Amino acid sequence: MRTTPAERLISRLTITALTLVVVGPIAWALVTSLKTEANVITFPPSLLPSPATLASYVAVFREQNFSVELFNSVLYAIASIALTLAVSVPAGYAASRMTFPAKRAVMLLILATSMIPGVALLTPTYFVLDAIGCLNNPVAIIVLQAARLVPQTIWFMQNFVNAVPVGLDEATQVDGATRWQTFTRLILPLIKPGIAAAAVLGVITTWNDYITVAAFAPDIARRTLQVALVNQVFDTIGITWSYVMAFAIVSSIPIVALFLVAQRWFIAGLTAGAVKG
Amino acid sequence: MKPPNKANTAGIGRNWAPPVIWFGPAVLLLLAVTLYPTAVVIWLSLSRTRYYDVIGWAGLGNYASVLTSTPFWDLTFNSLVYLTGSLAIVLPLGLFCALALQTMKRGASSLRVLLLLPWTLSMAVVGCFWLWLLNPSYGPISYGMKSVGLTPGLMLGDPGVALLLLIVVTAWWSFPYVMVMMSAALQGVPGELYEAIEIDGGGFWSRLRHVVWPHIDTTLGSTALALSIMYLTLITLILVLTGGGPLGTTSTWSFEVFVDAFRSIDISPSAVISIVVLIVNLLLGLAYLRLTGRVSG
Repeated sequence: MRTTPAERLISRLTITALTLVVVGPIAWALVTSLKTEANVITFPPSLLPSPATLASYVAVFREQNFSVELFNSVLYAIASIALTLAVSVPAGYAASRMTFPAKRAVMLLILATSMIPGVALLTPTYFVLDAIGCLNNPVAIIVLQAARLVPQTIWFMQNFVNAVPVGLDEATQVDGATRWQTFTRLILPLIKPGIAAAAVLGVITTWNDYITVAAFAPDIARRTLQVALVNQVFDTIGITWSYVMAFAIVSSIPIVALFLVAQRWFIAGLTAGAVKG
Repeated sequence: MKPPNKANTAGIGRNWAPPVIWFGPAVLLLLAVTLYPTAVVIWLSLSRTRYYDVIGWAGLGNYASVLTSTPFWDLTFNSLVYLTGSLAIVLPLGLFCALALQTMKRGASSLRVLLLLPWTLSMAVVGCFWLWLLNPSYGPISYGMKSVGLTPGLMLGDPGVALLLLIVVTAWWSFPYVMVMMSAALQGVPGELYEAIEIDGGGFWSRLRHVVWPHIDTTLGSTALALSIMYLTLITLILVLTGGGPLGTTSTWSFEVFVDAFRSIDISPSAVISIVVLIVNLLLGLAYLRLTGRVSG
């Protein structure tokens, strides 16, 4: 695309301004996390930590529940994406390759569930979990998180399988492969990028979730890093901003790292639904 | 030699067993975790409740009392202001950001990754970052305002500006999503078209209007709908930044549902609001499907 010098200048200015707006708050959080407790509340605020200290980070890692919270965050994120993929990849394959009388009804059901917002289900889910004694149950959290990801993931998988020519399936089946073998040996390797995209998006979604865990597993032993972070903000008496910032940063590091490593798949996952094509 | 395979490929239309095996687990999960609670919330909205206990049938009584109450319309007003305000910032911002990135020859893809960073952060983290930035006593923003002679006031504690600040933070967090969507859509604009209009002497706006717009309007629309759904169901950011306050000025439908679920009150009114959110979401979702041409079955 050719552009005039004026347009290029305006573009540069826009991008520079936006970059500053995006980086500014993150940088301020980093700077704050490196300050001492006293340095945080000086006025005017000091631009750089003086002295710089890792004390807040040490305090985060030493917090007595930190390892439990980290473990729960990892457990919920990994287990729910594993469950999501285990039920969605076969369903997505079947959606692409099989025809059967009730298929339209099944696909409509999956589509309808994708449009039911989690917030509308907060009250009834609490009601049901309470009735069956599954509040604070980690398995319940994993199943709930997975169910939120399933409709989108099935649709995603269906699209990826659609992109594999049916002729390939038929060729392997002529060679004597069963449908399951076709699925595991032919389709799965070919749709790996799709699985990766769904997994990256799903892990980030579950890791970042606060509501599900806060609502249905508020027990101290079941909390995630996100829940612990929000609780600190509510704890207005003891709040130390350098500590909160360090905690927020530590709780984001795994997800930002995953994003940086897998950004291609993350972007593919984001754009898959909305761009017509 | 292998008759089962033949049956497998030829008999799919008549055989029920394979689809049940392939779809079964997913359908079971969605029935139990999504559809069953949906039925429960509809039932709750039609029942008389005492806290979490159902004590009788109310018919449409709950709807009548909730939909005619002032607090409900306050929530509706806040939800709509929040939704339209956020969209009004993120859509143009995201679009112009994508257009600007497109003019860059080098470094565009790494900048795109950098600019996408806020979107990967959780609402809890974004809320904490901004709660601190907007701190009226020690925050850099109030300091900046003071040094140019403005009175920062209570910031998020000020009923007059809290919703506006919430919108600003929401925009910071979600404009990268629009940018990514628009960047993807812009890749669908054929390069020859730009050259054609350049020969005709078209400037930036006419290029945007006649060349770019027809290729991106659908994506912009579907992005707006996806974000609308997200804004209307968003809770955590509001919880961290304002807790729905001050004086309820930042409380939305979804936030009210969340708070009610853990307050010792009757749950049927909050079930009614849940149904309202559900219906609005279904309508937005259907519009999204129409726009993206995403139909299944």
